[in-house]
Amino acid sequence: MNLRTLVLGLAVVATAGLNSYVAQADPQLDTLIKNPSNWAAQAGDYSNHRYSTLKQINENNVGKLQVAWTMSTGVLRGHEGSPLVIGDTMYIHSPFPNKVIAINLKDQTFIWQYQPKQDQQVISVMCCDTVNRGLAYGDGKIFLQQADTKLVALDAKTGDVVWSAQNGDPKKGETNTNAPHVFGDKVLTGISGGEFGVRGRLIAYNIKDGKEVWKAYSTGPDSEMLMDAQQTMTWTDGKMTPVGADSSIKSWQGDQWKYGGGTTWGWYAWDPKLNLVYYGTGNPGTWNPTQRPGDNKWSMSIFARDLNTGKAKWVYQMTPHDEWDYDGVNEMILSDLNIGGKKVPAIVHFDRNGFGYTLNRESGELLVAQKYDPAVNWADSVDIKSGLPIRNASYSTQQAGPDHNVKGICPAALGSKDQQPAAFDPNSSLFLVPTNHVCMDYEPFQVDYVSGQPFVGATLSMFPGPNENGSMGNFIAWDAAKGKIAWSKPERFSVWSGALATAGGVVFYGTLEGYIKAVRIKDGKELWKFKTPSGIIGNVFTYQYQGKQYVGVYSGIGGWAGIGMAAGLEKSTEGLGAVGGYRELAKYTALGGTLFVFAIPS
Amino acid sequence: MKGRSILVLSIALVASSAPFAQTDPGQMKPVAYKVVDGNKVDNDTLQGWRTWRALACERCHGAKQEGLVGPSLVDAFKTLDKNEFHRTVFGGRVEKGMPDFSASQMMQKNWENLFAYLKGRSDGKINPGDLQAIDAK
Repeated sequence: MNLRTLVLGLAVVATAGLNSYVAQADPQLDTLIKNPSNWAAQAGDYSNHRYSTLKQINENNVGKLQVAWTMSTGVLRGHEGSPLVIGDTMYIHSPFPNKVIAINLKDQTFIWQYQPKQDQQVISVMCCDTVNRGLAYGDGKIFLQQADTKLVALDAKTGDVVWSAQNGDPKKGETNTNAPHVFGDKVLTGISGGEFGVRGRLIAYNIKDGKEVWKAYSTGPDSEMLMDAQQTMTWTDGKMTPVGADSSIKSWQGDQWKYGGGTTWGWYAWDPKLNLVYYGTGNPGTWNPTQRPGDNKWSMSIFARDLNTGKAKWVYQMTPHDEWDYDGVNEMILSDLNIGGKKVPAIVHFDRNGFGYTLNRESGELLVAQKYDPAVNWADSVDIKSGLPIRNASYSTQQAGPDHNVKGICPAALGSKDQQPAAFDPNSSLFLVPTNHVCMDYEPFQVDYVSGQPFVGATLSMFPGPNENGSMGNFIAWDAAKGKIAWSKPERFSVWSGALATAGGVVFYGTLEGYIKAVRIKDGKELWKFKTPSGIIGNVFTYQYQGKQYVGVYSGIGGWAGIGMAAGLEKSTEGLGAVGGYRELAKYTALGGTLFVFAIPS
Repeated sequence: MKGRSILVLSIALVASSAPFAQTDPGQMKPVAYKVVDGNKVDNDTLQGWRTWRALACERCHGAKQEGLVGPSLVDAFKTLDKNEFHRTVFGGRVEKGMPDFSASQMMQKNWENLFAYLKGRSDGKINPGDLQAIDAK
C-alpha cells in the first residue's frame, strides 16, 4: 500500500467515525474534560461539579500557595465566570465589552485577542452590572456569548470568527450575561431581561455552523414551549403527572405571558446517558405580584429537556406566583447520591428562595427540599407530596398589596444564593455552597409594560440577616440526601464567588473583600487565604501545566451585590455606597480586573 | 422671495418651541414643588415620584437618590439645571449606562415633574420613600 492510499484510507475511516459521533458528546471536548490538566468547561464538566481530581495541592501544603502569575483583563466592573485552560493555552474573557484573549501558558504572551464591537446602549438595559459568565469550548472553537445577544464562534487557534448568531434584541431590553454551554453537537445559550419583561427562552445551535436547532420558551403556548400535554410531566400529589394542555397560558391572565419573564441566564447541565439538558428559569416579569394573578408557569422552574429536540421531559416549579424575585436560574448539579439506602440519579439545586432541592433527574420526582439558611421565612417548609411551599402570610407581598411595605422578608431578592455556583465533592458527597444571609423590606407597586423599558414595580431595601455578628454570608457544606447543613463558616459579606473542590480535600472560594480562601472540605477549617486587589465574584478554577498544579480566580468586584462599587464611590457614610448592607464594602475594596494564578513554589 | 422665506423660518421657529415638542424643552414650567410634612406633595410632584418608581431609577441611583452605580442625584441636583436634565433623560449617557428614555411615554409626560421631585429631594425638603398627595388623609 502506498502512502497516498493509506492517507485516503485513514481519511475515509475518520469521516465514517465522525458521523457516528454526531448524536453524542463532542469527542474533542469529552477527551479534554476527562484530562484533569485542563479546565475545558466553565464548571469543569457537564454536571456542574466544579471539582478536580488534581491533588498536588492538598490539605497539607495549601498553606504554602503563592502567586505564580497575574494578568490584567484591561477592563473594570464585575468579573464573573473563569478562564478555560486547554492544553497549553488559557482563554480569558472580560465583562463588557467582552474581550477574549488566548494566552500561551509557557510565557503568558497573547496568542490572539478578540474585541467585539457592541453598541454601548446595551449597558443601559443590563440590570445588574455588565458581567459575563465566561466562554465555552467545543469542536475546535471558542464560544463567546456577547452582552448584545450575539453568540460568536471563534477559531480556537486564530481567534477568527467562524460563525455568529443573534439571540435577541437589546431594544426590547434583551441582553445576555450567561456563559454558552457545549453539550454534544450543540451549543446552548439563554437570554437575560426579566426586569424588562423579556420572554425567556433556551436556544440550541448546531456547533458547526451556528444554525438554530431548537428554541424553547419559558412561557406561552405548548408549541413554543416545546411541551407535550401528555408526555411532559411534573411532580404533584406524590407522583409524576402530565402537565396537560396549555399549562403555561392557563396560569396567566390574558396576554401577560408575553412579557412573563422566565429568563435563562444561569448554569446548565447535561446528562449524556439520559441525553437531558437541565436548567432553571427566572422571575415572571414584574415584581408586583398583584398585577399578574396565577401561578405564572413556567417561571421559577427546573426544566429537563431532550438535547436533540428540546422537548420537555419534566418540569418542576419551585416558587409558584413569585412575590419576591426568587429567580430559579441557579446551577443544576447532577450527582448520583445514596438516598435512603438507594443509589439515585439526582439533581441538586440551591435556589434563590432559600431551599436546597434534590430531585430524581431521570423521572423528575421531588425527594428533598429543605432550607439551607435557617433564617428563610417566606415559607415554613416545602410539602414534599404536593411539591408546594407552605407560605407564610406575614411575608407575602401579594397579601400586603401594592404600595404597602413588607418588612423583614428572608431571604432578600438576591436570595440565599444567587448565580455564584457551588461545588460537589464526590469523595464525601458534600456540596460546598457559597451563600448569602441577607433579608429585605419589599414594597410592590403598579407598573405598565413598555417594550425596552424597565418593568419592575417594587422598591427594596436589603440588610444583613438575623445573627449576633451582622455577617451577610456563610460558606456551607450541605448533605443533599438528608437536606442538612454539615458545617457553616460565616463571612462578613455574601460569598458571591463560585467554589472549587479538589481531590486534595480542599475547597476554594473568594470573598467580596477580595480574599481567595482554601478551606478543608471535611470540617470547614480555613487553611489559607490571600488578599487580591478587588472583591472576588468569579469562579475559582484549577489546571495543571508541565506537571505543576495551579489554582486561579478573577479579582474584580461587581455583580448585583457589588454594584455600588462600580461608581467608584469614596465614602461609606450613611446613605452612600452599595446596596443597603453592602455599603460597608466601600471600606474594603474598589474596582479591579485581574486574573490571579497561584501555585506551591518549587 | 427673501422676505417670504424669513417669514416661513420664523413661523417654523415659533412652532418648534411649542410646549408639545418631544425633544425640545420649549417653554418650561418654573420648578415649584409644594411639600407638607416632608412626604405630602402637590399632584405634579407626586407624578414625578411615580415616574421615578416606575422607571426603576433606584437600581442605579439608589432608593434615596444617594448613588450606586449611577451618581448621587442628591449631590448632582445642587448644580444640575433643567436643560441638562432634559438632555440627560432624553438621550441618555450611553457609555456610562444611563438609558435614553425618549421612548417612554411616562417620561415624555412627566420629565418636569420628575425634575421637581428630585430637586425637592436634593434640597432636603422632600423625604426619601413613599409620598402622598397633600390632601391625602
